[in-house]
Amino acid sequence: MKNRYIIPKFFLLFIALILSVGTLSAQDLDDGKNLFKVNCASCHAKDMKSKLTGPALGGVAERWADYPEADLYAWIRNSQALISTGHPKANELWNEWKPTVMTNFQNLTDDQIANILGYIDGVAAGTYGAPKVDPNAPVAGVQAEETDNTLLFTVLAIILALLALVLTRIVSNLNYLAQAKEGNAPAARQTLVDTLTSKGVIGFVIFAAIVLGGYTTVNNAIGLNRMQGYQPEQPIKFSHATHAGLQKIDCQYCHDGARRSKHSVIPAANTCMNCHKAVKVGSTYGTAELTKIFASTGFDPNTDKYIPNYEEMEEEDIAKIYKKWIVNSFVQDDNNKTKYSALKISDAAVKAADKQWDGIVSSLTNDQKKQVQGPIEWIRIHNLPDHVYFNHAQHVTVGKVECQNCHGKVEEMEVVGQYSPLSMGWCINCHRQTEVKFADNDYYDSYEKYHEELKDGVREKVTVEDIGGLECQKCHY
Amino acid sequence: MKNQKQNVWVGTETLKNDPAFLELAEKEFVDDVKDMQAADNSLEANRRDFLKILGFSLGAATVAAACDTPVRRAIPYVTKPDAIVPGVATYYASTYVEGGDACAVLVKTREGRPIKIEGNSQSSLTGGGTSARAQASVLGLYDVARLKGPKVAAGEKAFDAISWADLDKAVSGKLASSRNIRIVTNTILSPSTKRAIAELQAKFPSAKLVTYDAVSSSAILQANEATFGLKTIPNYQFAAADVIVSLNADFLGTWISPTEYARDYASNRKLKSIKNATMNRHYQVEGHMSMTGSNADHRIIIKPSELGASIATLYNEVAALTGGARVSAPALNDKAKAALKIAAKDLAAHKGHSLVVSGSNNKGEQILVNAINNLLGNYGKTIDFANASNQRQGIDADVQALVKDMNAGSIDALIVLGANPAFDLPNAAEFAAGAAKVGLKVSTAGLLNETSVLCDYIAPESHYLESWGDVEAKIGHYSLVQPTIHPLFDTREAGLSVLTWTGSTNLDKNSDSPYYDYIKQTWNAAFAQQTAFGSFQTFWDNALHNGVFEAPSPMEGGTFSEAVNVSGIKVSQPLNTELEISFFETINMGAGQFATNPWLMEMPDPVTRTVWGNYLAVPVKWDGVRSFNAFNGLNEEEYRGKADKVNIEVNGISQTATAVRQFGQKDGTVATALGFGRNTVGETGKNTGNNVFPWLSTDADGNTQYYAAVSSISESVEVDELFACVQYHHTMGVKGIGVDGDEINVDEAATVDNNILARALGVTGFQGSLTERSVIRQGNLNELEQFATDLVHEREHHQKLNSYGLYPDRSDVYGNGHHWGMYVDLNGCIGCGACQVACIAENNVPVVGKVEVARHHEMTWMRIDRYYYGDYENPNVVYQPMMCQHCDNAPCENVCPVAATNHSAEGLNQMAYNRCIGTRYCANNCPYKVRRFNWLDYTTADLFPSNEYAINGEETPYGADNLTRMVLNPDVTVRSRGVIEKCSFCVQRIQEGKLTAKRENRKLRDSDVRSACQTACPTGAITFGDMNNPEAPIAQKMKSALAYKVLEEINVLSSVHYSAKITNKNSELA
Repeated sequence: MKNRYIIPKFFLLFIALILSVGTLSAQDLDDGKNLFKVNCASCHAKDMKSKLTGPALGGVAERWADYPEADLYAWIRNSQALISTGHPKANELWNEWKPTVMTNFQNLTDDQIANILGYIDGVAAGTYGAPKVDPNAPVAGVQAEETDNTLLFTVLAIILALLALVLTRIVSNLNYLAQAKEGNAPAARQTLVDTLTSKGVIGFVIFAAIVLGGYTTVNNAIGLNRMQGYQPEQPIKFSHATHAGLQKIDCQYCHDGARRSKHSVIPAANTCMNCHKAVKVGSTYGTAELTKIFASTGFDPNTDKYIPNYEEMEEEDIAKIYKKWIVNSFVQDDNNKTKYSALKISDAAVKAADKQWDGIVSSLTNDQKKQVQGPIEWIRIHNLPDHVYFNHAQHVTVGKVECQNCHGKVEEMEVVGQYSPLSMGWCINCHRQTEVKFADNDYYDSYEKYHEELKDGVREKVTVEDIGGLECQKCHY
Repeated sequence: MKNQKQNVWVGTETLKNDPAFLELAEKEFVDDVKDMQAADNSLEANRRDFLKILGFSLGAATVAAACDTPVRRAIPYVTKPDAIVPGVATYYASTYVEGGDACAVLVKTREGRPIKIEGNSQSSLTGGGTSARAQASVLGLYDVARLKGPKVAAGEKAFDAISWADLDKAVSGKLASSRNIRIVTNTILSPSTKRAIAELQAKFPSAKLVTYDAVSSSAILQANEATFGLKTIPNYQFAAADVIVSLNADFLGTWISPTEYARDYASNRKLKSIKNATMNRHYQVEGHMSMTGSNADHRIIIKPSELGASIATLYNEVAALTGGARVSAPALNDKAKAALKIAAKDLAAHKGHSLVVSGSNNKGEQILVNAINNLLGNYGKTIDFANASNQRQGIDADVQALVKDMNAGSIDALIVLGANPAFDLPNAAEFAAGAAKVGLKVSTAGLLNETSVLCDYIAPESHYLESWGDVEAKIGHYSLVQPTIHPLFDTREAGLSVLTWTGSTNLDKNSDSPYYDYIKQTWNAAFAQQTAFGSFQTFWDNALHNGVFEAPSPMEGGTFSEAVNVSGIKVSQPLNTELEISFFETINMGAGQFATNPWLMEMPDPVTRTVWGNYLAVPVKWDGVRSFNAFNGLNEEEYRGKADKVNIEVNGISQTATAVRQFGQKDGTVATALGFGRNTVGETGKNTGNNVFPWLSTDADGNTQYYAAVSSISESVEVDELFACVQYHHTMGVKGIGVDGDEINVDEAATVDNNILARALGVTGFQGSLTERSVIRQGNLNELEQFATDLVHEREHHQKLNSYGLYPDRSDVYGNGHHWGMYVDLNGCIGCGACQVACIAENNVPVVGKVEVARHHEMTWMRIDRYYYGDYENPNVVYQPMMCQHCDNAPCENVCPVAATNHSAEGLNQMAYNRCIGTRYCANNCPYKVRRFNWLDYTTADLFPSNEYAINGEETPYGADNLTRMVLNPDVTVRSRGVIEKCSFCVQRIQEGKLTAKRENRKLRDSDVRSACQTACPTGAITFGDMNNPEAPIAQKMKSALAYKVLEEINVLSSVHYSAKITNKNSELA
């Protein structure tokens, strides 16, 4: 009988599947993912395919395959050191990416680097989950323990489906055999197609589709408009990593609303001018980005004076001023002096100026705003719905919450993205767990009961929830 | 009195116990589908349409869900102004001014955009109080009907744009060649504008200033000139008066300086203690029920034409008691005569502590009023000239002379400074005819009106919130107007226009702000009056910061001239016609200048409770048992939103007017409001009532008279199906007669009648047979102690009943931290509606329009209920501001299927709009009927444009265009269609106040949190605060023996306390 071996066959397949799941889960890619997010993601794109501040990391192991594995590890720990040894791959990379210096990661262990590289490979090859940042990565003060089990569930579902199929076939065969034994053989055996098109199966599939569809719809609807990880390109390549990280400028120097207003406030262009009247050429982009601020405010870097009646000027006249500045800066740049000959440098400067000016115009103008003069229209990253009231002063001045709690390590971000989900659940969770600094503020004296309970030891702490932090009209009115 | 009734009522149907009315009053929502379809065909929908819409919505939702999230931009300043922190409000001191109407205010601006008016407590005139007009003025800034720039006439009522330079050149050129120039204006309170006009007069000596007021006090000015030699309005001190007799003067609503008078009046009316309590006694002599009359202890009802007779009678009675010459008094109805005799006795007993005022516009009558005050020794005590008022300066005879001159063709240039004489003069048509004969006509009106369309040039003035300006409302009371926003349109101050046309040498044309410099020059005079500041700059900075500057007045005088021969004075004779009509100014519409302000249009008149138009108040007469006779049997179905239209003819002009039943209206008289029925006006003001100015007449002195004989009134000619009167909307505590003849509560009739168990047990009523529900509690001063004791006992009884309730005791939760509460002093509340408009402004409450109001869809979070009590024919009135009571056992919360409304630990009844699915169960279960449902998308907040259909046939709903939306408060959600909304106790202000305290590391002070209604109130009747803070005024006041809670017996534990209404009736008159 042909069908005698069907059961052992499926059994083998089943074992093989279980083994494959085992090999997949043995890799510690989740650790690599977390490490990547914390250390690498501010410069390297998370999809491993596109360039950001640093190169795309997909296939990095192959690219370094010609050298000992230790070289790549050394490069990750201290790239400049490797460059200085004259390592050919290291210098190749440096020539392509200078002057951007890769951050040193001296404290990463070999295992950790291996995990990161494993994760990079996994993402690049598409074998590791979705190339998205985990929304449940630990937020300071908030515990989030949830791993991605989608793969496991899928495999289980496939196995169960196969099992069901096998069992159906067995039942069908046994029926057939039993009937054949009794001598009254039916006209035809129930085929696989018959089974799959039976009312029961179709009904079950429809039911499952409705349940799954409903579940997916609701889940996606809840997530609508949530933009965690939103990292748009801004009109000016302003680097928080340089300003807040390297230069250690306090967040509230520029975002001066945070301590006294509901808005943290995008700083006005004249706040930039406090420093950039003096720092007129940027370390990374030279004149390309900083000239945008000058063009917005009407500051003439050639003369260090504001241009009178700047609002009314024609674009050609403005272009002349700033192109002159770019050309002069270009010519005086030591790098350019070595790169170009004395004859060619002015041509190159003019070309650079034209190119940069085009960039300035496209950054400072749009369909609504036709002229370069006037405010810089930044892309808003953190968008709360209109019916949500959020007050920065309450959190920053009263609650003494660190900016990084919600915004992540902005001082390490070259391009700022939305770090937190900004969902209501996220807010509520924090309100549940955050302790109110009751003793520090006389305002809370009116909560006499809590003060007594704290004194008597009945109560350990007062959370935001205890003083009404979960009530609707704290945030919605 | 035979017609006395102890209980309160709202209208005729309450007394009649009309079963249909009782049935209607039971319902929270009047879902008369047939009526709705009749009102608007676009609402017609069948099952197919429903399926179509369902399909569309599903599709639209899918498409919307699939769309990318839009890219939003954050646009910072280039150079951030120091004074602005985005997200934090900045306040500027300024002065609301409209003709003779002025109020020192603080303007709240957000990101440089004025959004709310608050009172300026630095002003000793208003003490921080405001009026409904001042509150609504911020919306006037964003009026879509405003002129966008200067205009030049181009044919019949058509205008072209012109540049200011061209306009100035043309006007000054024509002025130079004019031989006879007139400047016509309403009262000007600005010293700088007056100085500018004086400069123009100096340059063109033929130029004469003609001042008039649409609702005039011309006779008072003339009488004071005759008796004191001072052509001015004196300083009336209502706070110092213990007995006030007002002869048709609506001094709490519209007369001269109502915000100031209301504050003074209420200060002597709010009770400070129960034992030995004192308060003023107020007699009001009038024909129709004015807002002031509704607050009086005694109303003495007369026909409008009997005003002269009553003044003369009162004078004679006072003279008899104090020894003065008599005058000949025309006949007066006996009831009024007897009452005046008692009032005169009361006055004479309070010599020097009494005050007699009159709204009469007859010179002789006003001289008699002065003589009465003189006999009573009130001058120097309750009336003085030291801080005389500038608020009315118009002389009617001047403008009548102007109309005559214009028609004679002797005027060749006319400058109209904002006034609208082609609408608001009794002979407006003659003015219009005369204007055609004037060579040059210029108007400075900011909006197109009946006068400016007649002009050759329009030089639109800026709104006061965009202008520099100054005000001297009373002698020595200076205040400044400062701009809070750059002019939205190409407009400028009227004073600047005058100076430009004059070619003034005092105007520095090269200055950045020439008019500002000019005002500073003017203020040198005020600087000279003071010694506190050494340099002008510090003086100026201080005045600008405070908004006001008060100097001791140099003005002396005020001795009654003995030369006045009182006995020779003639007063007006009563009309011997069957029917009379009186005309009055309403607090919201003035003389028509607020016709484009939808907040004021939709603010119910305090007495008639009607909106969007003027109505003909007709008297009702009671037999005292169960039936009544309304005039001509009109308005049988008023409570159903149906009123009768009648044709009424006065002065040979017939108009069709909608009637409204009015208690306290003298039989044989009708009354209607001025200022409605504008025809050259923005969309908001169109088709709103009748223009009754043509019905006015002038007397021998040229003074406008505000009453007339009615030639005829027809029977009902038509039924007005859209009678927009909120009197019968959201009624609560209405009593009716049950099936077995017992008195029951209408809204619980079903509970009683259908409850078999209750019937078997012989229980009637609800919750322990409490049919006498505590909505209004009223008493009289002479029985105050007993009244207070009874009230305390009643409350104890209620609280005892409540102690058997099923609700868990949560007092430990509310006792910790804050517990917000409110206290409303019904003796302080005069019904002026300032709080209601303030609430609308603060909380983005939508305007819904007349049709929607008629369908019970008004959205106001706070309403002012008006109840009558006492004599059927001449009742007393009590106003009750009614807003969400924030019950700690809130019935609305238990019935919400999605928990969209729930309670906070601070005692707030919260409403989460985005959770609300619109079942309206909560509104049905609210005993106070204060929850409002967004039937339509009034503010176009909805995502899908298909939901934004024209509400009253208008292209864009009120407040939906981008200009008007600038007035929205960014801290309050703009609710979209299909959710319930209600008073939040201004939770945004609570949050702000708490944050301020936290940031300053201190305990919350009572002054940190003040609700919008509280700050707006001119009389300080509303107190808001933390009931847990023993130092807060609210905690003290709620302990008063006169405090009670509305419907306390139903155990909802409301957080709003009211104090009983106490009158000070004269036992001789009671």
